[in-house]
Amino acid sequence: MRSGRKCRRGIGLLMVALIGFAALPAPAQAQAGGAADEWLNKLAGLETAPDLDVAALRQQAMDRIKAKAKADAAPIKRPPIAPELLRLPQFAADIQFDEDAAVVRPESYRMVGRIADTLYHPSLLGYRFLIVGHTVSTGRRENNLTLSQRRADVIRDMLINTFKISPKRLQAVGLGEEQMLDSAHPAAPVNQQVQIVTVGLAP
Amino acid sequence: MGPVRALFSLLLIAAWSSASAETMRFEDAAGILGTSCAKDIDDNCRGVNLDAVRLKDCLYRNQDVLSSQCKNDYGRAFDAIQKRVAARSAVTKLCERDVAKFCGSVPKGDRGQALNCLLAGPRGMTINCGKALGEAGYR
Repeated sequence: MRSGRKCRRGIGLLMVALIGFAALPAPAQAQAGGAADEWLNKLAGLETAPDLDVAALRQQAMDRIKAKAKADAAPIKRPPIAPELLRLPQFAADIQFDEDAAVVRPESYRMVGRIADTLYHPSLLGYRFLIVGHTVSTGRRENNLTLSQRRADVIRDMLINTFKISPKRLQAVGLGEEQMLDSAHPAAPVNQQVQIVTVGLAP
Repeated sequence: MGPVRALFSLLLIAAWSSASAETMRFEDAAGILGTSCAKDIDDNCRGVNLDAVRLKDCLYRNQDVLSSQCKNDYGRAFDAIQKRVAARSAVTKLCERDVAKFCGSVPKGDRGQALNCLLAGPRGMTINCGKALGEAGYR
């Protein structure tokens, strides 16, 4: 009699545990899957691969800063340096770095992992991507250009060395404050996000 | 006590098989590392990026001073990343014959299309290929 009650209580507890076990991870997974799917959709649909020369793009940004043209002196007035990038499939990831350094903060590791998951998806395995680093407009323009290049390079290194994405599928460029994601607010944190852009078919 | 034991072992089997069948997503593995070791990395490995060699080495060298949570989790997180990398590359090898047999229309070397063809579940796919796809987290 007593052991029967104990037994029933035991089953009850186990059932609760089972239900909890089944129910708990579900919303978390759905949420994460949702964000990853959103990125997947944003990277899909490249129609024609652009004729993109990353080295030339770097040089162009450097030249513009050196020229110190009055017309684009204020960040708010600066036209984007690579408008052709804006027309390609892409998303921006809010990756946090140590201040003034190309070191990803631990709280952003998850997001770098999510980029790797996305680029491994069967529907994207056949494509190449450009990682674009940006900065806000505080500090010197030249330094920002260098910093954004180092940050883009670091993301590329992680994807290649840690998550083993083929180096042939990834290029990196830093555009500093030459192509603001929100040019109306040059100091807004949104301007230091890292962009992933679909640029062509994998070699 | 019979039903309790039965249920308990069922639960164990369910937990074990779900753990062994599919490797962890990169997002989750990297997330565990970032969450469990944030302070430890700031305190002991400042300037070191997420890297399966350098960051792991740094945490290992400092393991005497790591928080217990980080100490518990960092090896597990790097293992999980490594396991998924291995599972992903194993698919190519373990499914090679299946691709040749069932996905004839896919251009040679197009891994994305080959995967999509396999994921559509052609009849007669080998058990090893199916298992590889599951372990890699492709289905």
